[in-house]
Amino acid sequence: MFKHNFIYTLKILGKNKVLIFWTFAFPIILGTFFFLAFSDIENNEKLDVFPIAIVENDNFNSRMGFKETFEVLSDDNNEDKLFDVSYVLEEDVALEMLENKDIVGYILVLDEPTVVVAKSGINETILQVTTDQILSHEKVLEDYIRKNGNSRLENFVKVMMDDYSYVLDNSNKNMSYTMVEYYTLIAMTCLYGGTLGLTALNQNLANMSQRGKRIEVSPSPKFKVVLSSILASFLISLIGLFLLFLFLVFLLKVDFGLFGGHVVLLAIVGNLAGLAIGVAIASCFKVKEGTKLGILLSVTMLGCFLAGMMGITMKYVVDKNVGWINMINPANLITDGFYSLYYYDTLTRYWWDLLGLLIFIGVMVIVSVLALRRNSYDSI
Amino acid sequence: MTVFKTFLKVLNKCKAPLILYTVILIFFGGFSLKTNEVNTSFNAYLPDVYINNLDENAKITENFMTYLKKVSNVVLLDEEDISDALFYRDINIAITIPEGFNRDFFLGRKPKLEIQCTGDYASSLVNIYIEKYMQVANTYRVLASSEEELLRLINGNLDLKTNVYLKTSLDTEAMSKATTYFNFTNYCILAGCIFGVCFSLFSFKQKNIDDRIRISKINYKKYLMQLFLSTFVFAFFLWLLYVLLGFVLVGKIMFTYHGLIYIVNLFLFTLCALSIAFFLNQVILNKDTINGIVNVIALGSSFLCGAFVPVQFLPDFVLKIARILPSYWFIHVNELTTSLEKINLITLKPIWQSMLVLSLFTCFFFLMSLYVKKRN
Amino acid sequence: MKKVIEVEHLTKKYKDFIAVSDLSFDVEEGEVLGLLGPNGSGKSTTINCLLSLLNYEDGIIKILGQVMSSTNYDVKKDIGVIFQDIAVFEELTVYENIDYFCGLYIEDKQLRKEYVIEAIKLVGLEDFQKFYPKQLSGGLLRRLNIACGIAHKPKIIFLDEPTVAVDPQSRENILAGILNLRKKGATILYTTHYMEEVEMICDRVIILDKGKIIASGSPLELKNLAKIEEKVTIEDISLKKTDLEKIKSLKNVEEVSYNKTTLIITYKKGQHNLPLLVEFLKKENLEYQRIFSERPTLNDVFLELTGKELRD
Repeated sequence: MFKHNFIYTLKILGKNKVLIFWTFAFPIILGTFFFLAFSDIENNEKLDVFPIAIVENDNFNSRMGFKETFEVLSDDNNEDKLFDVSYVLEEDVALEMLENKDIVGYILVLDEPTVVVAKSGINETILQVTTDQILSHEKVLEDYIRKNGNSRLENFVKVMMDDYSYVLDNSNKNMSYTMVEYYTLIAMTCLYGGTLGLTALNQNLANMSQRGKRIEVSPSPKFKVVLSSILASFLISLIGLFLLFLFLVFLLKVDFGLFGGHVVLLAIVGNLAGLAIGVAIASCFKVKEGTKLGILLSVTMLGCFLAGMMGITMKYVVDKNVGWINMINPANLITDGFYSLYYYDTLTRYWWDLLGLLIFIGVMVIVSVLALRRNSYDSI
Repeated sequence: MTVFKTFLKVLNKCKAPLILYTVILIFFGGFSLKTNEVNTSFNAYLPDVYINNLDENAKITENFMTYLKKVSNVVLLDEEDISDALFYRDINIAITIPEGFNRDFFLGRKPKLEIQCTGDYASSLVNIYIEKYMQVANTYRVLASSEEELLRLINGNLDLKTNVYLKTSLDTEAMSKATTYFNFTNYCILAGCIFGVCFSLFSFKQKNIDDRIRISKINYKKYLMQLFLSTFVFAFFLWLLYVLLGFVLVGKIMFTYHGLIYIVNLFLFTLCALSIAFFLNQVILNKDTINGIVNVIALGSSFLCGAFVPVQFLPDFVLKIARILPSYWFIHVNELTTSLEKINLITLKPIWQSMLVLSLFTCFFFLMSLYVKKRN
Repeated sequence: MKKVIEVEHLTKKYKDFIAVSDLSFDVEEGEVLGLLGPNGSGKSTTINCLLSLLNYEDGIIKILGQVMSSTNYDVKKDIGVIFQDIAVFEELTVYENIDYFCGLYIEDKQLRKEYVIEAIKLVGLEDFQKFYPKQLSGGLLRRLNIACGIAHKPKIIFLDEPTVAVDPQSRENILAGILNLRKKGATILYTTHYMEEVEMICDRVIILDKGKIIASGSPLELKNLAKIEEKVTIEDISLKKTDLEKIKSLKNVEEVSYNKTTLIITYKKGQHNLPLLVEFLKKENLEYQRIFSERPTLNDVFLELTGKELRD
């Protein structure tokens, strides 16, 4: 009987096109959209060469510091190249270029150097910082000469301009926050898996569906039927999750840190959490199946929203200010687990997330068992 | 009128998702359009920095920290939160001043500062600031005879600033916020229109209802016309709602010519969304599939055309593909409007050209839906 | 005869509403018992209590001599139920649906296969085995619904209004199927508000109203409860007042009603009434289109007992 019900539940769920769409196809489609939209966003945040103009008047040519620095910083052979410089003779030409957005800004040296830009922004700031830097060097030389005259000036300049770096970069290599988007996608898929459990269970309960009446008057013990239905839905949602992982790992090249047992374990436990929610909703609420699915989908979307699916800042803000919400939010626990595997060197946080998920599953199971324990109903 | 009333009744049944789309829009709008001050002078970009000082409170380190406070936002955090703050870009860089920094500096050992950064341009900017400070400080160390003189020389040097002029009459920041809002309406209008229209029209489309109407005394053509007008009224109200929301969230700009372009553009796009809805209504055969199709189309167009992610961050090949979607042209007009300085026939040309493309899409989908209906 | 179902003092309340009140009855082996009553009279509630789907406040229910409970699987395996609403899976074919529900009772695959094919034959769905429920007409769907409930060859069958909203042809088929089951020895509890069906297939009838038994017995016995025995209807006849008086004074006549064209005469005793009447009409030269005689129906009984119609 167990096997009989298991196989038929697989068949019934597998043929439910709407459920299969939401649990199998939708995550992959959404993942594709994420990939297309986010693949370049982090590269765009790195310092990039941008175009500027310089009004090449006599003042400019007389300031050697300016002339040389911009020559170096616009040299194609320089690794640290920052600017594409167009030299113009009249300010009007530069102004027109600025208005046409051909350049970020231009430099005009009158008595003092002036930078003209069209808006306040990061590239504009870089341009300003560069000219400040030149002014600073000029000032250092000036101060030196005032104090020591021209003696050993060359040596001093050499010391001043050396390539020595004063910072030691200990940055984490795994800084790609768009990965979190994909983790929320996995969380969403795990929780959507609950729709399968919900549908399967609904069909087993006499107070929820007509088919359930039929099953409950049969001599098959209720817990056996329920368990085999839940197992069947778990298997199907695991297959869906597996497909998503194949897609994420091999096609989108999503980085899970070290892909291994921890990732698999978290995915399975996360999927169980989704199933547990679905089962709990199916057994506790006595409303139409469509309404139950609506409740589950809304809970999932809200959970994923708080876990950062629509912008990872949301996860950070919630974590920081109302941490307890995300501690009971299964979507976040799943997301956070993958995040800690990716970003942290230690596993402490991962285990806490996993524990949180297990507690969540436990609570859902207890709630479901309490609701399912009854064999006769007060009304159906 | 009966047709219209029935239409509204059916529509009422699916109001929940429509409200949801609007709430998301308000949330999103309210979230990203908070500041609305007029900004027409140049402000240097301020990165967010966390400083952890492990050394004694010497003057040179204090002076360094004071300098950083001038050129960046120094953030206070619990030490355990730093990793998360970096990952989620709450700070761009965390700087650790190592133990013995002060001593090593004066011994000429050129001590290094430890940093952890996000690697984005803001953190690169801070990197430049740090290197600059340390270089200047180290250079003056050999020149100055006392610590006081050293600080004076350093600060005198770092205070030098280039003059920066902002050549624009536009409040670019506010304009780009308006564009962000209207770009986002792409999702809400598409999802709302398709969902509302398909869901309602589906009830009318069912075979027995359609047959009943065909044999009733209502003129069938007239009936179709009424149905069409009902959907139009619905779309019109959706447009009106999002325009009014725009006035609330975006503010002043809406009363300028720029605002007018946004509004007209949104109207054209609403018509286009309506035509897409008509087309889908002809193609969709199963009511259960409406929700899936709406989500895929609305989310897809929004992601690919830059409604969620700013257009400049999208890969070029995505933008090229996106040209075959009407949303691209709608968002393109919004983007053009952002940087529209002077309004005249020449500057408006790319705008009305894109609007024309958008309208061609509308015609295309209307004709396609008529064609499919005829063929059935 | 062995008692298969024994119900004593069954009472079921929904909060303040008493759905079934102090109900006691027995069903004997091989019997077809009809539970007749209007909508809301407690028929379905009674069945659901019998099946232990519903908790009840008071009473004892024994089936096959054992106290019925939701975990008494020994009893459950001999019961087949056909509920009022269609309960099949959209995703499974006709064959698979029957096989699924049958599989909850019969573990042996080979035996199950035989049973399923037999059930399909019984309800006449041989040509539709590979069809999905969506492709079936309303009547065929009802038949499938029944096949799902009886494929495992239960000894006791509960049928809760299986013919609601069914076309005449399917109804014929369903009723014939039930009679067939009975022939094979099944005990059947049948609820309906169609009295014609009850008269056709039931050995014994219990009439329920507001959760109480208001009458029970064989259909014939029940009809005797009505004061009348025969009802004669004459259509398209025109009568004077004097004619009416004369008819009233005919032998055995209980009551006469006339509404310009149709005349209905009810008789206390049901012997030789029609010939007498025809003779009388001929003698008086009264012309009419059609005349027919009926035995009183259970509806008349129900009307007599409660003052209202079975079907409202």
